[in-house]
Amino acid sequence: MASNNFLQNYEKGEVRTACFFLAPLLLIVGIFILLPVLGTFYNSFFLDVSFLPKQFIGLKNYARLLSSPDFWQALRFTLAYTVAAVSLEAVFGVAFALLLNEVFVGRTVLRVVILIPWAIPTIVSARTWQLIYEYTYGLMNFLVMNLGIAPERINWMGTEFGAFWALVFADVWKTTPFVVLILLAGLQAIPEDLYQQAKVDGAGLFRRFYKITLPMLKPVLVIAMIFRTIDSLRMFDLVYVLTGGGPGGSTRTLSYLGFEAFANDSFGLGSTVSVITFLISLAITLIYLRAGKFSEQLK
Amino acid sequence: MTKETMIKKCLIFSMSLLLLAFTLGPFIWMLWISLADRADFLVTGKVEYSFNNYFQVLTSPSLHFLDYLQNSLIISVTTAFVVTVFSSMAAYAVSRMRFPGRSVIPLLILAMSMFPQISIVGYLFEMFAQVGLINHHLALILPYIAWTIPIALWINLSYFTQIPIALDRAALVDGAGRMKVLYRIIFPLALPGIFSSALLVFIACFNEFLFAIMLTIDYTAQTLPVGIALFQGLHGEIPWGNLMAASALASVPLVIMTLIFQRYIVQGLMGGAVKG
Repeated sequence: MASNNFLQNYEKGEVRTACFFLAPLLLIVGIFILLPVLGTFYNSFFLDVSFLPKQFIGLKNYARLLSSPDFWQALRFTLAYTVAAVSLEAVFGVAFALLLNEVFVGRTVLRVVILIPWAIPTIVSARTWQLIYEYTYGLMNFLVMNLGIAPERINWMGTEFGAFWALVFADVWKTTPFVVLILLAGLQAIPEDLYQQAKVDGAGLFRRFYKITLPMLKPVLVIAMIFRTIDSLRMFDLVYVLTGGGPGGSTRTLSYLGFEAFANDSFGLGSTVSVITFLISLAITLIYLRAGKFSEQLK
Repeated sequence: MTKETMIKKCLIFSMSLLLLAFTLGPFIWMLWISLADRADFLVTGKVEYSFNNYFQVLTSPSLHFLDYLQNSLIISVTTAFVVTVFSSMAAYAVSRMRFPGRSVIPLLILAMSMFPQISIVGYLFEMFAQVGLINHHLALILPYIAWTIPIALWINLSYFTQIPIALDRAALVDGAGRMKVLYRIIFPLALPGIFSSALLVFIACFNEFLFAIMLTIDYTAQTLPVGIALFQGLHGEIPWGNLMAASALASVPLVIMTLIFQRYIVQGLMGGAVKG
């Protein structure tokens, strides 16, 4: 009866048409996202390998995963990589956005050029970086040697240190443009009078940045960093091309670990990794959002 | 004051140089190697330039470059088209019809886009294996539609809500159906938004890798990113010249498209980001 009353507020024909308009989208999202996600969750409780009947094993996959050093290594790497990449992107993003917000000759060109890394497919840029990081004749080691940054060639792909930063740089290159775009929109929303007033009050260039720009930009910066964090936590393509998870499994991300399990026909375990990956990124998103709200309340 | 202006000018100049080197460096390197006959000239000092690599990539049937390109185009264009139709229908319903759940549905759809791809792809593989869809274009088109439609819905919504409802009312009174209102009145007015969402969907599908590598097997369905990721030389050593030529061929059209339509892309990204 309650639902009858509830529906009386709506026009029957309109509701029916709305259902028809929404049906394709809901069906497709339901079948190809919601169902697989639920299926993955379900599979994570099963031993599911080829040539053997699927077998319910409760939480054994989870126990196995949580006691495996590979999982903790992947988690550690994913978090360290995310922190390094996202903070570098924030720094470069703010710097470039400030630059592109100034009025000067060539600004229009630079505003367009900055989009180029974003437009190039990740796999393509990964292959290019792979060549740049080549040990003997790569551009990076050529620069490192000739600019005197290091006394000898860096083994980018063969050492844990090299592989970590190689991945971070490639990611920063590819995704900083996105951060710049968001921050630029934020900068353009800061009223010009604030700066005029501060100038009259005698505040210098850096003081104005610190006291006006940075606080006003903070909400937008938080949004950009949430986006980037969510994305980095599930990073896959760069690792696949550049390091293949190596050397010695030191650069596997959680997504890569899941992929390896699936590729080895271990669907139960792969599903478990996937569920945990999802839960971790969900938890971090919620923490970010909480922190954002909390700092708003402080104001 | 003059000192401040000077500092500012120096900063702008040096940051501009840094930005140019940062963004263009790897891209120029890709183009450079694609024209060179050998990739190790920084060490050996010997090099000759030609379009040989491009010629080989485009004509050698064993490299399958054109197959990958064709698959990528079929999959991305189909997805962008279907997503545009379905997402604009949904955005129309949400922005101008009264029905239960109207405010919750867009949020639920957005939440669906939060799942990492890895938590979808394993089960998709099993699903498609059962119905024999693995290594078919549809095995990528269907998940791509589901994966990109949330953002398209939100971009379209942000444009549709700016169009006055009085316009539809007038047309509805004149006896036009809802579908007709959508395609005759809303669609033309929201065209910039629809175009930018379609463009972003196309680019996202053209770049996607995890679904593509899991759900396809060979050149009959593999997309360009998969082809380029698995690109191997015939003799072990990676043929960098060919690979960079293929990379350039895969990215230059996207770069040009981005430069031409940058206004729409930026608007689309903003619409999606601010709402998200």
